[in-house]
Amino acid sequence: MIPQNFEYSAPATLQEALQLISGGECKVMAGGMSLIPLMKLRLAAPEHVVDLGRVPGLNSISESGGVVCIGATATHHDIESSPVIRGRVPLLAEAASHIGDVQVRNRGTLGGSIAHADPAADYPASLLALEAKVRLVSANSDRTVEAADFFLDPFTTAVESGEIVLEVLVPIEEPREGYRYEKVPHPASGFAVVGVAARIKKAGGKTTLARIGVTGTGPRAFRALAAEKLLESGADVATAAAAVAEGQETNADLYASAEYRRHLTRVWAARALTLALSRAS
Amino acid sequence: MNTTVVGKNLRKVDGFKLVTGGAAFTDDVLLPGMLYGKILPSPYAHARIKRIDTSKAKALPGVHAVLTYKDVPRVPHTTAGQAWPEPSPYDTYLLDSKVRFVGDRVAAVAAESRALAEQALRLIDVDYEVLPAVLDMEAAMDAGAPVIHDEPDSTKIFDREHNIAAHIRREIGNVDDGFREADFIFEREYRTQRQQHCMLEPHVTICWLDGDGRLMIRTSTQVPYHCRRQVAMILQIPVSRVRVIKPRIGGGFGGKQEMLLEDICSALALATRRPVKIEYTREEEFYMARSRHPQILRMKMGVKRDGTVVASHLQVLATTGAYGSHASTVQGNTGSKVLPLYRAPHLRFECDVVYTNTPVAGAFRGYGCPQGFFAQESLADEIAYKLGMDPVEFHRKNAIRLGDVDKLSAQLGEGKEGLPRVIRSCGLPECVKRGAAAIDWDRKRQSLPARAGFVKHGVGMSCTMQGSGIAGIDWAASFLKMNEDGSFFLQVGASDVGAGADTVLAQIAAETLGVSLGKIIVTSGDTDFTPFDTGAYASSTTIISGGAVKKAAEKVRAQVLGVAAKMLAVPVENLACAKDEVFTTTKPRKSVSMAEVALQALYQEKLQIMDGASHYNTDSPPPFCATFAEVAVDTQTGRVRVVHLATAVDPGVAINPMQAEGQVEGAVTQGLGFALSEELMLNHTGWPMNPNFLDYKIFSAKDMPKLTTILVETEEPLGPYGAKSVSEVPINGVAPAIANAIFHAVGVRIRKLPIRPEDMLRALYEQQPELKPEEALVTQ
Ligand SMILES: Cc1cc2nc3c(=O)[nH]c(=O)nc-3n(C[C@H](O)[C@H](O)[C@H](O)COP(=O)(O)OP(=O)(O)OC[C@H]3O[C@@H](n4cnc5c(N)ncnc54)[C@H](O)[C@@H]3O)c2cc1C
Repeated sequence: MIPQNFEYSAPATLQEALQLISGGECKVMAGGMSLIPLMKLRLAAPEHVVDLGRVPGLNSISESGGVVCIGATATHHDIESSPVIRGRVPLLAEAASHIGDVQVRNRGTLGGSIAHADPAADYPASLLALEAKVRLVSANSDRTVEAADFFLDPFTTAVESGEIVLEVLVPIEEPREGYRYEKVPHPASGFAVVGVAARIKKAGGKTTLARIGVTGTGPRAFRALAAEKLLESGADVATAAAAVAEGQETNADLYASAEYRRHLTRVWAARALTLALSRAS
Repeated sequence: MNTTVVGKNLRKVDGFKLVTGGAAFTDDVLLPGMLYGKILPSPYAHARIKRIDTSKAKALPGVHAVLTYKDVPRVPHTTAGQAWPEPSPYDTYLLDSKVRFVGDRVAAVAAESRALAEQALRLIDVDYEVLPAVLDMEAAMDAGAPVIHDEPDSTKIFDREHNIAAHIRREIGNVDDGFREADFIFEREYRTQRQQHCMLEPHVTICWLDGDGRLMIRTSTQVPYHCRRQVAMILQIPVSRVRVIKPRIGGGFGGKQEMLLEDICSALALATRRPVKIEYTREEEFYMARSRHPQILRMKMGVKRDGTVVASHLQVLATTGAYGSHASTVQGNTGSKVLPLYRAPHLRFECDVVYTNTPVAGAFRGYGCPQGFFAQESLADEIAYKLGMDPVEFHRKNAIRLGDVDKLSAQLGEGKEGLPRVIRSCGLPECVKRGAAAIDWDRKRQSLPARAGFVKHGVGMSCTMQGSGIAGIDWAASFLKMNEDGSFFLQVGASDVGAGADTVLAQIAAETLGVSLGKIIVTSGDTDFTPFDTGAYASSTTIISGGAVKKAAEKVRAQVLGVAAKMLAVPVENLACAKDEVFTTTKPRKSVSMAEVALQALYQEKLQIMDGASHYNTDSPPPFCATFAEVAVDTQTGRVRVVHLATAVDPGVAINPMQAEGQVEGAVTQGLGFALSEELMLNHTGWPMNPNFLDYKIFSAKDMPKLTTILVETEEPLGPYGAKSVSEVPINGVAPAIANAIFHAVGVRIRKLPIRPEDMLRALYEQQPELKPEEALVTQ
C-alpha cells in the first residue's frame, strides 16, 4: 500500500534535527526499513518525518580508550564490514551479518534498529552480551544508559520524546575471547525467532567470564545471568544452556509456541556456547 | 520425431517485451478519467446487514459511486470459471444482505484516487446482526450448526440445512469384498491445510464502456470466455455487449479460474460511466481471493502378502469456505485422479464438501490431487515398509500401466459421469528409474540412516498423475490467416497465464505450416477477436488448444499447398513445406517461398488464405510423475531441510522442453511450500492471522534445495505432436516424498501438512523418546 501524505525534512545538522523534533510531533527516520513498512501498513501515520540520513558524521565508527563508538546512522553493512568493529567487537559484526538481506543491511541502521526495539531484532542480544551503553541526546539533554536498561518492552525503549539515539558505546572484546551469535531465523520474515549471543573468556582451561544475551525469546532481550553464573562456576555447556531461559517470560506466535521457543533457546544457547568456547583461547 | 520447431528450446514469443518491461499486464494501461474501485470487506465471519448507510461516503468529493446489495441485480451464480452449466452451486451474489466470511463483500466504491476510495469505505455506516459462525469443518454438519446458505434462491447445493455443498460417492468393483480378499488392511487419517496461490500479479481488472456503450473488461483471468458469460448473466446484459480482454497474466495457478472482480468492477463502471480499476492488495489476495480446499482424508488400503493392492477406500471431508466454488470438482479429482494410480479392482471414493464461515477455496494447481496423493502415497510408503518392500518395488508392482483402463474416471467426471481413461502412453516406470538414479536411491536407502550426528538424513519417493484437459468438456478453437510476407496471424481463445501457452501454440502452428517461429504472431484470449476456448485450466491448453491449432494449421497448409501447386505446376501430393518455403518432394527440386505464395494468393487469386478449427478430446491422458526427496531432519529443533529434490515427469512430447522444465520447477516450489511452510491461518473469529509475506512463508529462490528435473518423453496419440501436459502433475508428489523421507530419516510419520518444525519435534519426541531434550542438547 501507499503511505498517507506526510511532511518530510532532511536537516543538515544535528542541532537542526533536535530542534525539529523537540516539539514531539515529528517522527525520526534513519534507514526507513522499519518505519516505511509501518507507514505502508498504516500502523504508523506520522504527519512529519525527519530524516537523519543527511546529518554529517552521525554514522562514524571510531575507537578510543577501550571503547568502540558507533554513530546511530551506521548501517548494518557498515557494521559488518568495518575493520574497527571486526577487529575489536567481532560479535557485533557477526550479529549485523545475520540481519535481513543485502538491501536491508545497506539501508537499515544500528540506531534505528535499537530505537525500534522489535523483540525479534538481532542486535540486542549482542549489545547485552557486550555490556554496551547507549547515548541519548535531545535539544537540552545528553545522557547515557546501559543496554540492559534501554530495552523495556516490545517496541518500547528508554528513548524519551524529543530524544534520539546519538551513538552506541561498546567496550572492546579481548582478542583471546571466544564469541558467537547464533540465530533461528523466522522462515518468512528472517527475524530472530531466537537469537543467542555468547562471549567466553578462559584461563587455565576454566571459564572465567561468560556473557549471554538472548533475543526473540521474550518480550524484551535479556541477559541469561543464571546460565552465565553456572558456566563461571564450572558447569558444562548443557547444564548452563538448560538454564538460559530460566525465569523469563516467553513469546508465542504462529511459528513457535512458548514451550517450543524455550526449547529452541536452550538448543541455540548450547550451540552458541559450544562455538564460543571453541574459539576462546 | 523429426521436427524443426516442436521439441526445441525456443525463446518465449513475448519474452523480449517481458524482460524489457514493455506494457504487457492488465495494470500497464492508464485510461483517461479512470477511477479506483475498492471493496468493503466484512469484519465478521457471519452476519446480516441490518442497516447500511452510504450517504456520507457518497457525499465525499471525488467519490463517484457506492454500491450495496440494494443497488445491484440479485442473480445466484458461481464464481467458478467452468464450462456452462457449471457444476458448482449457484450460491453467490454480486452483493448480498448477508456476509459469510471475514472478507466477504459488503459494499464497493469508485473514487478518483485510491486514498479517496479507502476513505469512502470508512464512511460507510453498517449495522450488523452478528450470527454464530462455524469455522471448523468437522462441526459444519452438526445438528444446530449455523446454516450458512439459508437464502431460498441459491441452487445446486447438496444439503443446505447441513452446510453440505457437495457430496460424492463412487465405487468400482466391490470394496468390501476387496478388503475381505486382503491379507492386511491399513487405515490412516491425513490433514491438509489452506494454501494460497501467491501469484506475483494479484487479481486486477479494469472496466469501461467503449464509444458504442459496450462493456470492456481488461482483466487478469485464466477464463476470458467463462468470465464474459458470467458477467453478462450477473449484470443481466447480453453477451454481445461484453468484451473480455486478457492481456499477459502474471501467474494464476487456478486462482484466476474464477470470475472474481470482473462483476463488481463492471457494476461500478456501469454506475459511473467511467473506467474503473480494482486491484487487490497482497493482503486482500490472501483472504478475499481463493485458496486450496483444506481436507481431512481417511485412506484405507487392503493388500496381499506380496504387496499387491486389492482395494482402496478414500473418505474425504473438505471445506469450500463460505461459497461452493469448485467444491464438487476439486474434490472429485481427489478421488478420480488419485485412486486409479494403483491397479486395484476395488476402489471407493466418498466425500462431503462443507461450507464454513472461512475464506473461499477454489481451483489451485493440482486441483484436489496434492491432498489425495499426500494421503495415498504416505500410506503406500507405510505399507511397503510394513511388508519389508522397497517403495520403488511397491510402485512397480501396483502402478497403472500402458493399455490399462481407469474405470473410476468413467464414474467421476466434471460434476457428473465422466469417460473411461485408457492409458495410451506411460513413462512412469522410466520416471521411477531415472528419478531413483538421480537421487542415488539404492545406496542412500542403505547408507543414510546409519549416519551419526543429530541431523538425520533420509530419502523418500512418491508417484503421481494428473489429467490433460477434462474429457468431453474442455474444447478450444483457433484461427489462422496468412500475410503478404509469409507470416501468419494465430488467434486463440487460450489464456497464457505465464506458463508459455502463446509460445507452445505458436510452435505447433509453425511446425505444421513449415515456417519459423518468428512467422507466427499470436493473439490470445480476447472474446471479440479470438475464437472460443474454455480456458487455461485442468492442464488442458497444450493438448486441447494445441490440438485446435494443429487442425487449423493443417487446413491452412492445404490452402498454401494448393496455391503453390498452381505456381509450380505440380500436383499437391508432391509438395511439402518447411523452412518458410514450399518445395517439391520429387525431382527436379522446385520451390516457392511462403511470401511468394502469399502475394500470389492475395493479389492474383484474390484469396485470403485462412481457416479455423475446433477441437476436443473424449479422454484425458494422464501425465505421470515420480518425485524423490532427500531431507535432513534436525532432531534438536524439528527443522526439516530438503537437500535434494528430483522430479521425473512424463509430459508426452515436450513441445518446448525449456518451458516444460520451468513448469516443473515452479510446481515443486509450490509443492515445497505446501509440504513445509504455507498455511493461511484464521483466529477463532475467522480473521486471517498471516495475510502477508512476513508471516506466510513461500519458498523463494534462496530457499530452494538442489533440484533435478527430468523429462521422460512419451508419444501420446491424442496429443498434438504427442504432447500431454506438465504444469500441474509435479506439485502432487512433493509433500508425500518429503514425509516419506522424514520417516526414512527418523522413523516418524507426519500426517498433517504443513510439516512445521514444532509439530515435527513433538512427534519426534513422542515416538522416539531417546531423542528427548537432555540428549538433544549435546552438540555433536
Ligand atoms: C525485509 C526486512 C528484513 C529485516 N530483517 C531483520 C532481521 O533479520 N533482523 C533485524 O534485527 N532486523 C531486521 N529488519 C529490520 C531492520 O534491521 C531495520 O533496518 C531496523 O530495525 C530499523 O532501522 P532503520 O535505520 O531502518 O530505522 P527506521 O525504519 O528509519 O526507524 C525505525 C524506528 O526507529 C526510530 N529511529 C530511527 N533512528 C533513530 C534514532 N537515531 N534515534 C531515535 N529513534 C530513531 C524511528 O523513528 C522509527 O520509529 C528487517 C527489515 C526488513 C525490511
